[in-house]
Amino acid sequence: MAMKSSDLRSRIETESELIRMCIEAATESGNAVEAWRRQRRTLERMPSLLAGALLHRLLHRRLLFPSLLEVFKHNVEEIDLRGENCVDAEWMAYLGAFNYLHSLNLSDCYKVNSAALWSITGMPNLKELDLSRCSKITDAGIRHLSSIPSLERLCISETGVTAEGIMLLFSLTNLRVLDLGGLPVTDMALSSLQELKKLNFLDLWGSEISNRGAALLQVFPKLSSLNVAWTKVTKLPILPSLAHLNISNCTITYLFKGEGDKARLAKLVASGATFADVCGALSNVETSLVSHLDLSNAHIDSFYFLPHLSSITYLDLSGSSMADDSVANIACIGAKLRYLNLNNTKVSSAGVGILAGHVSNLETLLLSFTFVDDSALPYIGMMPSLKAINLSSTRIKGSINHEGSDSAAVPSFLALKDLTNLERLELGGPQIKDAALFPLSSFHSLKHLSLQSGILTDESLPHFSAMQNLEHLSVRDAVLTSAGLDSFSPPPALRVLDLRGCWLLTEDAIFLFARKHSKLEVRHEHVSMSLSDTGGSSYLYPSEATSKTSQSKQRQKISLLPSRFDNSALKSYPSKQRQKMTHDRSRLLETDQRLKYTREELLALQFSSTLF
Amino acid sequence: MKKEDMVKLISADGFEFVIDEKAAMVSQTIRNMLTSPGSFTETQQRQVTFPDISTTILEKICQYFYWSLQYASGKETEFHIEPELTLELMMAANYLHT
Repeated sequence: MAMKSSDLRSRIETESELIRMCIEAATESGNAVEAWRRQRRTLERMPSLLAGALLHRLLHRRLLFPSLLEVFKHNVEEIDLRGENCVDAEWMAYLGAFNYLHSLNLSDCYKVNSAALWSITGMPNLKELDLSRCSKITDAGIRHLSSIPSLERLCISETGVTAEGIMLLFSLTNLRVLDLGGLPVTDMALSSLQELKKLNFLDLWGSEISNRGAALLQVFPKLSSLNVAWTKVTKLPILPSLAHLNISNCTITYLFKGEGDKARLAKLVASGATFADVCGALSNVETSLVSHLDLSNAHIDSFYFLPHLSSITYLDLSGSSMADDSVANIACIGAKLRYLNLNNTKVSSAGVGILAGHVSNLETLLLSFTFVDDSALPYIGMMPSLKAINLSSTRIKGSINHEGSDSAAVPSFLALKDLTNLERLELGGPQIKDAALFPLSSFHSLKHLSLQSGILTDESLPHFSAMQNLEHLSVRDAVLTSAGLDSFSPPPALRVLDLRGCWLLTEDAIFLFARKHSKLEVRHEHVSMSLSDTGGSSYLYPSEATSKTSQSKQRQKISLLPSRFDNSALKSYPSKQRQKMTHDRSRLLETDQRLKYTREELLALQFSSTLF
Repeated sequence: MKKEDMVKLISADGFEFVIDEKAAMVSQTIRNMLTSPGSFTETQQRQVTFPDISTTILEKICQYFYWSLQYASGKETEFHIEPELTLELMMAANYLHT
């Protein structure tokens, strides 16, 4: 709900360039604020969404202070102060005067305490209040809240509230969403909330409720979403309107036992849960309606229940005991499956072979940390809808040595070339060589490519240059050299180049590369990210900050053979640094033949380069 | 420049701004007024009155229209907004869908 209006707010800014520029100009400095803050009549007339956008921009620019809040009190309807540690009782005093405020997010504002909540008592329109993780809020604060009967959504997870404070919530009968996560909610406290008949979302993770408390949940006729993760609950009663259930890390004997219709669950999250008899536990669930099932790291004895999940689209079995002999149970419900997570399982290529041909709608297939090798790739190539594949930390080499012919290795990634929707591919393994990558250059739909291999060299780079749609490229832990990086021409759409762990690259080489391709965000241990620029995600050096704004889009033009170091660029550096660079240049020419060196020698080289 | 290619925008205090139709069309609201079927006075006389927008702001708006056209054609110059105008300009921009 809160999300909706903040979406609207950002839409206002993105749709209208002039509004965006006005907000920028209005929040440029403290002086700019002084220029308009006395225009009271204009401020009063301002539409709520505009005022909200202005307020939040001031907040992000650290220009908002309590007394400035006052100018917004007549029109702002929604305020999100998440994680602002300056927010204290004085802020709350001003916020209490916002007559039209219906949503206030104070989560992680650690200075907000119980006494500060006194200011917002009796707010006439407040419907949504988020106080999650405000650890100074105790039962006394809840007492103040009980005077806001309009509240429909209240989040007080991980606050200092005790079972007694929770009992005070009984008067907030309009509550629809109640998040009590991480609070010591007892069975008795829960029973005192029976009057909250409108409740449809209840979060009780980590609470002290037992099966006795769980049995009480039947008094909430509209309950559709329930979280009892990390509790002692082992059984749940029939909850006819429940659609979403989270029982992660619980030990479950059975769900929804009793007379009546089967539970119509759409989403079941049981990550890390233990089932003594999973088929029995689910026998009262209308399994044909479940579309989202998360059993990651769950302790399950069998997978025979899977064939009943006829409308499943999302299935997470990562870290479970799933192995090749159970894959047939997934294959028979594969028709609607869009997401399948088998990370960290015992599945091998044979298992993937069983799936092939049964999962025509599968878009995401995650197989990292499995026994899958190159022989699985032809099977994966038969899954026509795939958009994302994760094969990192598997046994994939990228080439298949056919028996008999010992010299001719066939590049196995060719098997994926018919996946025309493939946007994201993650490969990783110690044995992927440069030569294995050449099929990738014909994967035109690929937007995100991630590779991790200690034996990839500069020769892998030209394969990437031709990938028209590639936006994110990650080549990690490879033995790329500075010279190799310098002659690399990034594909036209590339936005992020992740080179972390490429230990041979020097700081200067990365610096020059980032300068040459200013639209690129380069990630490496030598690069300290500028966190202030979160929206633009473009990586720039402080000295460039001024020139960046005037750079036009046409500068994207990249020549195939860039002049290695043009002197005009060098002139802008102090002489000492210039010397260092020219020195580097001579060194680079040597390291170009790096393959002659052993790893130890290369390490020594890198060490010597850091000395200069 | 032919007369048909121009439109007249009138501010709250009666000042008239005659600008290119192409520039005025940067505003979705003005575009709708000028191109809507039927015989609205706006469509016929090619002029629009804004009783809520002051002369200063309307002038700035017109400058923005031209700047926006230039910007779209690739010429990057800065459009300066005086901080004291930001609030009213923002509201006008909101109204004009520009």
